[in-house]
Amino acid sequence: MSWYENAAAPWVPVSRRLITARLVPAGIVFGLLVLASLVVALAVGEPWLLLLSVAVLAIGAWVAWVIVRQVTAHAWAEGEDDLLVRKGRMFRSVTVVPYGRMQFVDVKAGPLDRALGIATVQLHTASPGTDASIAGVPAEEAARLRDRLTTRGEARLAGL
Amino acid sequence: MTSDGPVYRAPREWTRLHAVSPLLGGWAVLGIVLAYVIHQRLPDWVAGDEGGWDFFDQFPLLGLIIAAALGFAATLAISVWQWRRTEFRIGDDAVYLRHGIVTQQQRQARLDRLQAVDVVQPLLARLFGFAALSVQVAGGEGSSVELKFLRLGDAEALRNEILYLAAGLRSGEAPPAPAGGEDDAGGAGASSLRDLAADRARAFERPEDVLTGRERVRTAVAAAEEREVYRVPFGRLVLSTLFSGPAVFVVLAPLTGILATVFLKIDVLGGVLAAIGTSLFAIIGALGALLGFFWTRINGGFGFTAALSADGLRLRHGLMETRRQTVPPGRVQAIRLHQPLLWRGQDWWRITLNVAGYGATDEAVSVLHPVATREEALTAVWLVLPDLGEPDPYGTLGYALHGTGAEGGFLASPERARRLDPFQWRFRGVRATERALLIRRGRWSRELMIVPHERTQSLGLTQGPLRRSLRLANVEVHSTAGPVTPVAAHLDLDDAIALLDAQAARAGEGRRRQTPEQWMTAVGLAPAAPAGPSASSAPSAPEGDPHG
Repeated sequence: MSWYENAAAPWVPVSRRLITARLVPAGIVFGLLVLASLVVALAVGEPWLLLLSVAVLAIGAWVAWVIVRQVTAHAWAEGEDDLLVRKGRMFRSVTVVPYGRMQFVDVKAGPLDRALGIATVQLHTASPGTDASIAGVPAEEAARLRDRLTTRGEARLAGL
Repeated sequence: MTSDGPVYRAPREWTRLHAVSPLLGGWAVLGIVLAYVIHQRLPDWVAGDEGGWDFFDQFPLLGLIIAAALGFAATLAISVWQWRRTEFRIGDDAVYLRHGIVTQQQRQARLDRLQAVDVVQPLLARLFGFAALSVQVAGGEGSSVELKFLRLGDAEALRNEILYLAAGLRSGEAPPAPAGGEDDAGGAGASSLRDLAADRARAFERPEDVLTGRERVRTAVAAAEEREVYRVPFGRLVLSTLFSGPAVFVVLAPLTGILATVFLKIDVLGGVLAAIGTSLFAIIGALGALLGFFWTRINGGFGFTAALSADGLRLRHGLMETRRQTVPPGRVQAIRLHQPLLWRGQDWWRITLNVAGYGATDEAVSVLHPVATREEALTAVWLVLPDLGEPDPYGTLGYALHGTGAEGGFLASPERARRLDPFQWRFRGVRATERALLIRRGRWSRELMIVPHERTQSLGLTQGPLRRSLRLANVEVHSTAGPVTPVAAHLDLDDAIALLDAQAARAGEGRRRQTPEQWMTAVGLAPAAPAGPSASSAPSAPEGDPHG
């Protein structure tokens, strides 16, 4: 399987704690769905309705698998002139953002992210098409990454 | 154009807009109210339902008139209040605007981020010789500064001065004023009514200039000398609008109806009448949308003129609302040439562009040429990209506009892309020249997108499961918001990866040698000579020469 191999800089995979961060909300949603389908099945009293719960459970398991696969595919690399972000397994993409094109950098972390000690670093260029967010960067690394990106951006700052 | 009457000086202190602004601007509100009333009442009126008038019958006529007058007065009062709270000034680095009744907002448009300056004249403002100035800067929605309204001459003078400062010429080097300019520093508000009347009287000695938006005015900082490059004939504009999808629909829909009635013995007319009877309003809406399309095309393209000046590209167009756009050098992020199927006979192209300040909101603002012949299309590309980085730019563009496969050095989609893209695959192609990336696509309706390397914001490589099974991938070039979204689709995976790497390198190379934001500070364009680049073959009058 050949995909974009980055010769210039090594890929840095995102933290595996991102798996937990994504599994928890998905788990809650699917847990509630399973619970609801169980309640319905018991209330109606038709045993075949339990198949519904099984189906929901199966979809939940598939979603969990997808989350694990996605997170393990998510990585970034700091090249000489550009930041590279790789994501996705089924629909995969690589985004190359020149430091000189960076308008600003966002670091975001929700309550769950904070509890797990990870954050999302997002780069913005003048283009709305640029999808360069790195989820699941360890918190202290996120701050360092932001500072590094900002410094590099200023050093290579070009107009639009 | 020598001086009689005061000469406008761009205000360095907080200054209000012209006192007439509330009168010119407030009408939109009334229009909206009227449109709302019509929208609510029209179905009843059309259906002949007398109930539609019940609302009005409740009140005596006098009451209605008083209510209308009160409403008008209230609108006007709010407009005046708003006007009193709106002030602007310019500094060496930015244009500042503060406004707002309840909460004051201050906005600044940094001149080093300037993307375009437009002088906009809605019909009413045009008749009375006023204009709005809109300063577009990079930085997302709502970062532009709009000054409405100023006298046309003042707006143009302000534009010239803004461009002068943004070009990197400091005010210390004095935007030259004509003799007698110094004695009046009053700015917009101070010009007397009598001056205005006299001014208008002069302007209407040549009414056609006023109506076509070609009115010449006296300005303190002279506009950079410009050279007209092309002008769109009205006949071609109308023809091109007739050769369009909606026009064909208008012709074909009744025709199919008649044919169906005659040959298939279907009672189409009855059906249509029934449909009209039930949903007249929907049909009026559809017709409105159709007319709206024609109107936008004609209105936006009317009298379209492009010119080149030291301050960059100047575009002028508009029937009801005229717009004089100035896009400084290096602000065009991407170009798209599009040829609908019906334009192929004439080889006409519609050319749109991405400019960071314009965004995706108004398509009519982002037009470089509403309907270009092939010659003009090449000229238009040259306007934006004087150097394509090719020994034979026209030959390359020829392949880009009409070629197929790999001819002309294009990187084509491999044949296995046929399964995903049966019609277009042979017409897709990408080619990088020294200075720009050309992306070609389309079989029946053709399209060419050009992105200068130094304007590449970022790059993307994407692949879904289908493309993966065929070892294909897309390369996306991310440009600013606008009508152009360049994507080179269905390339061979290895080609795509190579293109991504090469393009990243070329974009970096382009950034290193791009023209500076302050375009006059480029090597060879010394600040001492604001007249324009000597390379321009236009007879450049030394407008920097002070008369005094």
